[in-house]
Order: sequence, then structure tokens, then C-alpha cells
Amino acid sequence: MGHAQNKDYAQRDYDAILRDGEELISTHCCFCGMQCGMNIRVNKEDKSVLGVEPRYDFPMNGGRLCPKGVSAYRQAEHVERLNHPLIRKNGKLEQATWDEAMDLIVSKIQEIQGKYGKDAFGIYSGSSMTNEKCYLMGKFARIGLGTKNIDYNGRYCMSSASVGFNQSIGIDRGSTNPWSDIKFADVLLIAGSNTAECHPLSMPYIWGARDRGAKLIVVDPRQTKTALVADVHLDIRPGTDVAIANGLLHVMIEEDLVDHDFIQKHTTGFEELKELVKKYTPAHVSEITGVAVDKIITAARLFGQAKNGFTMFARGVEQHATGTDSVSNYVNLCLVTGKMGRKGSGVATFTGQGNGQGGREHGQKTDQLPGFRKITDPKAREYIAGVWGVDESEIPGPGLSAFEMLQALGKEIKGLLLICSNPIVSSPTVGDVGEYLKSLDFFVCMDFFLSESAEQADVVLPSTVWVEDNGTMTNVEGRVLRVKGIDRTPGETKRDWKVICEIAERLGRGQYFQFNSPEDIFNELRVASKGGTADYYGITYEKLDKMQGVFWPCPTEESEGLPRLFEDLKFNFPDGKARILAFEHKGPNEKTSKDYPIILSTGRVVFHYLSGNQTRRIEALRNFCPDPYVEIHPNLAKKYNIEHGEFVKVSSPRGSIELAAKVTKITREDMVFVPYHWGKSLAINHLTNPALEPKSKIPEFKVCAVKLEKIASRAGEKHG
Amino acid sequence: MAKVLYIDYERCIGCKACVIGCEECSGHDHLSRMFVDELNPGETVATSPTPCMHCVTPACAESCPVQAIAIADDGTVLSASLEKCIGCKNCTYACPFGIPRVDDVKKVMYKCDMCYDRTSKGRPPMCASVCPTDTIRFVDEHEIKSEPPKEVQFKWDFGGTVIETRTVIGLPDTETNRYGYREGDGVQS
Ligand code: SF4
Ligand code: SF4
Ligand code: SF4
Repeated sequence: MGHAQNKDYAQRDYDAILRDGEELISTHCCFCGMQCGMNIRVNKEDKSVLGVEPRYDFPMNGGRLCPKGVSAYRQAEHVERLNHPLIRKNGKLEQATWDEAMDLIVSKIQEIQGKYGKDAFGIYSGSSMTNEKCYLMGKFARIGLGTKNIDYNGRYCMSSASVGFNQSIGIDRGSTNPWSDIKFADVLLIAGSNTAECHPLSMPYIWGARDRGAKLIVVDPRQTKTALVADVHLDIRPGTDVAIANGLLHVMIEEDLVDHDFIQKHTTGFEELKELVKKYTPAHVSEITGVAVDKIITAARLFGQAKNGFTMFARGVEQHATGTDSVSNYVNLCLVTGKMGRKGSGVATFTGQGNGQGGREHGQKTDQLPGFRKITDPKAREYIAGVWGVDESEIPGPGLSAFEMLQALGKEIKGLLLICSNPIVSSPTVGDVGEYLKSLDFFVCMDFFLSESAEQADVVLPSTVWVEDNGTMTNVEGRVLRVKGIDRTPGETKRDWKVICEIAERLGRGQYFQFNSPEDIFNELRVASKGGTADYYGITYEKLDKMQGVFWPCPTEESEGLPRLFEDLKFNFPDGKARILAFEHKGPNEKTSKDYPIILSTGRVVFHYLSGNQTRRIEALRNFCPDPYVEIHPNLAKKYNIEHGEFVKVSSPRGSIELAAKVTKITREDMVFVPYHWGKSLAINHLTNPALEPKSKIPEFKVCAVKLEKIASRAGEKHG
Repeated sequence: MAKVLYIDYERCIGCKACVIGCEECSGHDHLSRMFVDELNPGETVATSPTPCMHCVTPACAESCPVQAIAIADDGTVLSASLEKCIGCKNCTYACPFGIPRVDDVKKVMYKCDMCYDRTSKGRPPMCASVCPTDTIRFVDEHEIKSEPPKEVQFKWDFGGTVIETRTVIGLPDTETNRYGYREGDGVQS
């Protein structure tokens, strides 16, 4: 169906149903990186949003949607949507006009920057926005505000994958292959990803491979739905990914299941790896990881013997103080067995946020300029300065990363613009983050619901929701796709890009922000990315429609993009060789102790998205999972005399939280698991460790040391 | 050719997209007719969806005193007609699968009608349209019953009474463990 690149996907041969008096807007889900296609049913007359209708012809999902996708449209007419600007007066957020709000914002920016310097005003941006908005935020920070301090919440999400991919294969596209290639694998190794719940629309591809007889290896401390159906489940102790990968490498090298020809022609560093993994015998690795010896050997054989295969991973691998090592070590599995550059062979990370991929490509990361250019690279600076029409010296250098930025609030950073993120739920040590935000001189927030973070702002600007957005997103595969919005701005809401351009105008920088539409912004982005790693130059809105999305790089107007990377086996380094890197197991930053004897790990549930600001407001989703809970293995529960449904106090050296116990065998005995989608007293991030991965600056969300205390069960309360 | 629901338990992730999706069918009055159960809570995350089984000789329809439950030409057992249903719950008691529910306020029965609005126009029901894992599929009845991809069940023995259903269930392959579906062994640690 459609373009040749979409041949092996999951689309189905049905037309959408169109009902009387309605029109269908074909757009994409606003949540995870699968970016499923869907039709929004809109009343033709008053443009109100009525419901959702499957879009069977979109290749990635073929009409299928997870519960978040099915109910996402319910945000559009939600009563809690912000309709007017709000300004804090006498401690309370009160309705204000746009003029009042803009005047205040601009005067505060000028006041703060006048007093403390340009960098004293920071931007904390998001990755669930269109590429156009992400690009605009990067440009606005650098030449609208002239601040070096812009970073984004993707720092919490994909940054380790990004560094890992760059250091191993020289390019940071979340997947080396189109998603349809998964079906052609003979083995799939999925690590640290609860794929079934977090990226449900990957399941048809995984089942596609299984139906062809592919073996599935899952590395996860919990027996998730993905692990339940695996051939081998490597139920590792959280934080021991480097060790388990070393163990698999050890067995594959020992049993000569490696591809010598590929290693010799297309990689460097194998000898060092071989030397290092010698001591990672299955017995030794079993001790570190808690996984049975025979399972390690079986998994290594399944992976090593298969012709084609993928290693795929997500935050369970990345959100660690050793996250980049783990990513590269899992990439090693494919490099030593020559599983690269073919249908059915490659590596991928599951993109958490809607536009986690595009959001990190076009310059809202503090160390990057558009097209994945390094902000410290003189050539890159000169090129982008040319595109922007400014002097190279006007572009600031790198600033602080996301969490470092929060820690600097009230100190180096006195004013903050927050867009499309909710750091007071999503950051580690959220109790402290609340204090940091309070110490700001001025805090402005753009959102469509009053998030826990927005509640603390001095000014809140009402944005449009995603069904009203027009632009592009880049999905888990590296496919740039078109999001088409309903042409409306309910109440006094305004489009983010217009607001940003207006602030620039009022700051006297309007000449650099003369955009009339998202397409205008995209056309500038294309030029800005030209010649960079993430080259969008050849992508146009027209092409996106015609091809149902275009894979980057797409450097010329004639190009149709590159779904599969490295078919020529030339990796993105000057010598064309991939880097096999060797890592020792160091383990998590915070180890368990006598006082805090249990490991805490956090993650998602299928019904909620990130900080829950959106999904907790959708009644159906809230009802399915109203509250967080703590998963405890029956043996551990017995030790503490905790019964299913009883309340438990979970504490780390940084804070504590009270949760209902969910006693279940799906989790390890030495750990507990808590989902992270709730704020305030229910935010598990009160407990998590703010230790940062040195290269990617991702916090170590996945492991910290905690203790459990049973508290008197509260009558009448049920666990979620 | 008549199409039916084929449900492969092994693939269900318990996400309830089918439940929310069901509400989106016109004629469902935003009331879901799909249920998802945890098979063995505390032991495993296994779940299964339960729509109507669309029996070949439906006990619900047979037990209805006012003949409110119609059977469509293609065999789909429809929800009770609003005009006729008296809310007596006979169908609820008669159904061996426990499918029909009665809205106590409106005094009317509601159950899965395979999204007749959609299926009568050749589109899959909403549950089969949205299910992200292909657990629920809308397939040719004859094909799935004669050449199933795995062991299936569509005949059920209720104390000697055999009921044939049009909905076909794909059974978890716990014996050869082809997909490694191990009920409830949890993690080893
Ligand atoms: S949340 Fe992800 S998997 Fe679910 S519908 Fe949206 S894009 Fe698809
Ligand atoms: S939508 Fe599919 S996977 Fe989700 S609960 Fe329903 S049957 Fe299971
Ligand atoms: S399963 Fe129950 S509701 Fe469905 S047709 Fe059979 S008897 Fe009727």
C-alpha cells in the first residue's frame, strides 16, 4: 500500500468510516515515540472534537492504538483545559489578558537579564512537541534571549542512548532500521523495555517475528508481559546490564559464535573487548546479576547462532549512572555477531516521548545546534549563524543540562521559561526541585493543563492541544511524519510558536522570527539541518504526505530518505568502522545497605504517559489505574508481614512515600517497583537518586536503595 | 464470507484499548461491551479479553421472553432492542459465558454486538481495529475454524451440553512452550 518503503508494515486494507456531519482529521497520537496514525472525528460545523476513528492505512500501526491513543482526543474538550493566561496576584493565579501577561514576561526577562546577564534566564523545554517548535525553542534561546541555558526533558529520557549510539556507530538515530525489519529477525534481544506496556504498537512486529519462528530474549528485572512470552527471560538485578552483556559476549566469544569477517572488516576494538570479558564467565556474571548460569548460556547461544537479529532497549538500560556504557555494550552484541545493515538486523532504542527523536536533533539540547551539530564546533556555529543571519559570536556556548539547570535555579538562573514539561514530577528528588522553582525571581510556563509545575508559575500561558497542532514529528524509526491539526484555538488559547515569535518581537529580536506558519519554520529547519547528521533538507510537507513519512537523512530534493542505515557497512566514523568498546561492570551509583536494603526501580504503566499531567485527566485511563502502588514479591512481603492492598511506607535517603502494596511474583525478591506518573505526595521521584551519568547527564532513575515499613492498613482504600 | 472474532490470549497485554475502543462505536452510547480479566493476579501479568462469544444457538436470545435479542443474517448476536427489552436479566442468567449486562438505570440489556454498525459496513469491530497486539482479530470464520494458526477452541462443554461459538479462542501453548508462555512461574531470584 502506498510507497514502497511501507510494504512490510502493519497497515490494513480498510477505509475509515466517515459519519454524517463530520470530517476526519488524519493526525498522529501525541504520546509515545511510536507516533501511531489516527483519525480525529470532528464536527464539521463547530469544529468540536467528537471521537477517534482508526486510520488503517498508516503503515506503522494500521489503525491499532493503545488505550492512551484511543482516549487521547478526550483532552481536546476537557473542562480543565487552560483557556486564559494566568498571572499570580497575591499568591494566587488569576485570569489575565494576553497583553498583561506578555508585558510582564518581557519586562521580567529584560529586568533579569539586565541585572544578572543573559544566561540568567533559562529555558526548560520538552520533547513531546513538533520539530518546528523544538527548533524554534533552540533558536529563540540562542538569538531571541541570547542565553546558553536551554535544555529539555529528553535529557531524562533518551540521552544515554544518544551518547551510546554516537560512540559506537557514530550516529544517533534511535533505530538503525525501519520497524518493519523487526519481523525479519531470527532473534530479538529486548533489554530494559516493558515493550508491551510502553510501546504496545511494537507488538505486531514482535509477534510477526515470533510467527516466523524467531526467538525472544528479554532482559528485565520484572516478568513483564514481554518477558512472560520470552524464550529466555534474563531476570537481572537492576543496574547490572553491563555485566549481563559481558556475560553474553563471553559465551559467544568462547563458543566462537562471533562473525570474524565482520569484526575484522568493519569494527575496531574487538581485542580489548575479548580481553576484558574473559573474566565475565557465566558463573561470575550470575553472581553479579542474579540470573541463572544456564539461562545466560542459552541466551548467548540463541543470539550468537541466529543469522539476523536485533538488540533493542529502553530506559531500563539507559536511566543509570552507567547508562551509556550499557547502551554501547548491547550494541556490541550486534557488532561482534555481524548483525547490522540488513533487513532483520540492527539496533534500536524505544523512544519514550512522542518526539524524543526529533526533539533532540534540532538544537534544544544545550550542547547542540540544529541537525545534530555540536555547539562547540566552529564550523557548525558559522553555518548556523549564516542560516540565522547573525554573527557567529552571538550564538552562546553550551549551558547547563536539564537537571543541572534545575539545581541552578535561584542561583545562576533567576528566570525560567518552561514549555511542555512537568519537571516537578519527572525529576529526581522532586521535593528539592519544588524548592528550586520557588527560589526563582520569575517563572513562566506554557501548557494546556495546569500541571503540578505550572501551579508554581508566576505566569501561565494557555497553549493549544495536540489535535490543534500542525507540523512534523520524528518517530521511533527516524521517520519524519506530518501532524495535521484542526484549525482552531479555543477560548483565548494561542499557538506556542506564535507566542514565542511574539515574545521575540517584543524583545526587539523580531527580525529573526518572521514566520507565518509551521511550514515556514520547517523550511528554515531544513536549511539549518542541511549537511548535519540529521539532515532534513530534502524533506518537504508534500513528500511527507505522499510517502506517509520520510526517513532522515534525506539530504536532497530527489532523495526519498534512508529507512535502513549502514547497508554499505560504512559506519559514521572517518574510517567507516564501528567501535567495539569494552566496559567493566560498576553497578549502580547507590548501593543497598543495612539501613536501605532493597532496590527500588521505577517505570511506566500502559495507561499513563510521563508525569501523568495529560493521562490522569482522562477519566477512562484514570479509572483503570487511579493511584501508584508498590510491587512486592510475596517472599519479601512475608518478611515484612505485608498483605496485598496494605499500605507501605517506602523510604530512601532522600524521602518517603506511602503506597498500597501489590504483592506479585512478577518482580524480584530483592527489589520493589513503583510507577512514576503521579505528582505531589504520590511522586516516587521523591526517592530517586539524582546521580547523573557523566556523559549523557541522565539521572539514575532506575535504581536507588530503599527500606519498607508496613503502616496500618487504611480501611476502605483499595490499591490500584 | 462471514467474519468472526479470533482471540489469541497469549498476546493480550491487558491494556484495555479494546474496552475504551468499544465505547467509540456508534450505537454503543459510550458504554463498553468488552471486558478484560486478569487470569491469575499476583502470579502473572496474563490477561484475557472477553467479548460475546456469539453462540451458534445463543442461550441469551432463546431465553428472552420478549424476543428482544435478534440474530443478524451473518450470525452476529445483537444487543437487545431498546424498544423490546424489559430488563428482566433472563439473558444474563442464561448465558454460560456471563456476557449480557443490564443497565439498571435504563433497564436495558447491553452486550457485544460485534460493532454491528461497523461490521455491517465491512469494517472490523472497534476492539479488533484498535487492539495494539493483534490479540483480537476479525477473520474469516471458515478459515479460522478449519486451518487455525495454533490450537483453537470454539466448542465448549457445559455439563454435557456442547455449545459452539462463532468467536474462536486461540489457546496458550503451554505444552510445547512455543512462545514460552509459562503460567505463573514468576521471576527467579
Ligand atoms: S501511546 Fe504510543 S503506542 Fe499508544 S497509541 Fe500513542 S503512539 Fe501508539
Ligand atoms: S486491546 Fe488487545 S491487548 Fe489490550 S486488553 Fe484488549 S485484547 Fe488485550
Ligand atoms: S456468549 Fe452469551 S451473550 Fe453471547 S451469544 Fe452466547 S449466550 Fe448470547
